Amino acid sequence: MDYVLSILLPQLLHGLVFGAALGLLALGLTVIFGLLGVMNFAHGELYMLGAYAGIVVISVAHSFWVALIAAPILVGIVAALTEMTTLRPLYRREPLYGLILTFGLALVFREGARQIWGGDMRRVLPPFTGSTPLLGMTYPNYRLFLLVASSLILLAIWLFFTRTRAGIVVRAAVQDAEMLDGLGVDVKRVFTLTFAASGALAALAGLLLAPVFTVYPQMGVEMILLAFIVVILGGMGSMGGSVVAAFVIGIAQSLFSLWMNPQRVAIAIFGIMIVVLIVRPRGFFGREGVLE
Amino acid sequence: MSVLGWRALVVFALLAAVPFVPGMSRYYLLLAFDALLFGAIAMSLDLLMGYTGLVSFGHAAFYGLGAYATAILMERGVQSVWACVGFAILVVGLYALVVSFFATARRGIYFALLTLIFAEVVYTFFRYTQTFGGSDGIQGLPDAILLPGLVIDTPTRKYYLVLVYLIVAYAICRVLVASHFGRVLVAIRENEDRARFLGYNVQRYKMGVCMISALLTGVAGAIYPMRSAFATPDLMLWTESGEFIISVMIGGLGTLVGPIIGGAFFTILRDKVSSVVDWYFIVIGVVLIVIVLFMPRGLLGLRRLFARRERRAAA
Repeated sequence: MDYVLSILLPQLLHGLVFGAALGLLALGLTVIFGLLGVMNFAHGELYMLGAYAGIVVISVAHSFWVALIAAPILVGIVAALTEMTTLRPLYRREPLYGLILTFGLALVFREGARQIWGGDMRRVLPPFTGSTPLLGMTYPNYRLFLLVASSLILLAIWLFFTRTRAGIVVRAAVQDAEMLDGLGVDVKRVFTLTFAASGALAALAGLLLAPVFTVYPQMGVEMILLAFIVVILGGMGSMGGSVVAAFVIGIAQSLFSLWMNPQRVAIAIFGIMIVVLIVRPRGFFGREGVLE
Repeated sequence: MSVLGWRALVVFALLAAVPFVPGMSRYYLLLAFDALLFGAIAMSLDLLMGYTGLVSFGHAAFYGLGAYATAILMERGVQSVWACVGFAILVVGLYALVVSFFATARRGIYFALLTLIFAEVVYTFFRYTQTFGGSDGIQGLPDAILLPGLVIDTPTRKYYLVLVYLIVAYAICRVLVASHFGRVLVAIRENEDRARFLGYNVQRYKMGVCMISALLTGVAGAIYPMRSAFATPDLMLWTESGEFIISVMIGGLGTLVGPIIGGAFFTILRDKVSSVVDWYFIVIGVVLIVIVLFMPRGLLGLRRLFARRERRAAA
């Protein structure tokens, strides 16, 4: 019982917290994949830019909360400009080109960040400290906030996609952009705005996780692989699947790390993915024939 | 030799003359080694990307496994080039069999991501296994021995080793793409369903080309430690796979010759730019973006573009 309370339960919560943030990252990736058919290799770099933008805003405004609003907006603008200048000309070409283009973008962003902010690790202080007694253990307040905030954002996104006209337009674009264009919707603008929003979400995840992890130019590379796995596991293009898979991976990662050293955890996560793909080739919620 | 065509023979003869260029230094010969090796890898990746329409983000694992195969044997005193290459073919072949079996069952983006994840498993394994040196890899390897009494020790000999490999690999690829097998691959790229309805076992063809491409890359990996005297897990990092893809794109998809040029160009660009500025990844990233946006057929496509203009001007 002691083991459960003092070790298992906190680790489970850690997993939930991480899973929620991973969900934010994977969701943007899934939507872009559904929309453009492109696996965005630069998504991890937008996540990284979010953390650095946060550091910059904090150093100017001295407030984590201002940064939490401003950083995603800044990164969203960067994402929108990137989409308009580089991805838009590729819509009519094979997805292969988009994939390779985002790989080039990732290189530029990563090295750019290293040039501007240096390669050393940085920390962001959490906006509040202390911990709360919870279910017989104490848990850091910031992590609780992280869990609640991420979950609320995920909920808001779900409401956006199901209840608002704009959300339905985006979903329609995912299904059949050409048809939507024919119906008189400005599809190019939908693509740009969605790309910006997905970048902003990644940035938000980056800044929210910054006080828990460390900030460095390579941080996106490690997250993006995990996010890829989440998207594959959830079923390509399935938003709900991505969120479920994010929690599964988050919890699996933190529980495994109780019993294994980090490299075994990584291999175990890869193992899960390979097994799931063999048993359920389209992931948890992937539908047949979608995006193949 | 007729499969190569006279142009290729001339080019190979010129390449064979490189060590005799006056003022050729050790540094430039080893750079030429890297350029040709990278070119050969890009060419074997082109079999997948250009001819079959499959993007592998996991070729670094084949490359790195080949390098480790050599390094592990050499560390234990086996210096024979043939033994190292044979061992690399065995190891890479077994791994490629597993990867290609699972990856070729899926199309498009799934193939790219599955190869990527499998490669990450291999990378993580070598990165953290102390038996194989962990993150330092295996360092300080001796020179390889080609035949009794013929040690691959000078830069010139190393250069000829990789040149011979490139010629053999190029001949294999040329024969392959001109054969019936190669035609079916192109059919799969153009319309996989139609190829299947015509009665071809599509997955078997995809697995076949995957294995050939992986083995060619693995042998290139086996040759690399014979020049560098080390094998590190960084050779298997997925960004390395990305660099192979960049090379193919720079050269031009589906041309074989293009990726060789692309790989050589990329290697020299990386070397030259990184000796001048610290931010060479930005340069490489921008080059890649520009190529994807403005010259999707790569450097060879550029040549065709000029040829067309000239013809039009003449008419």
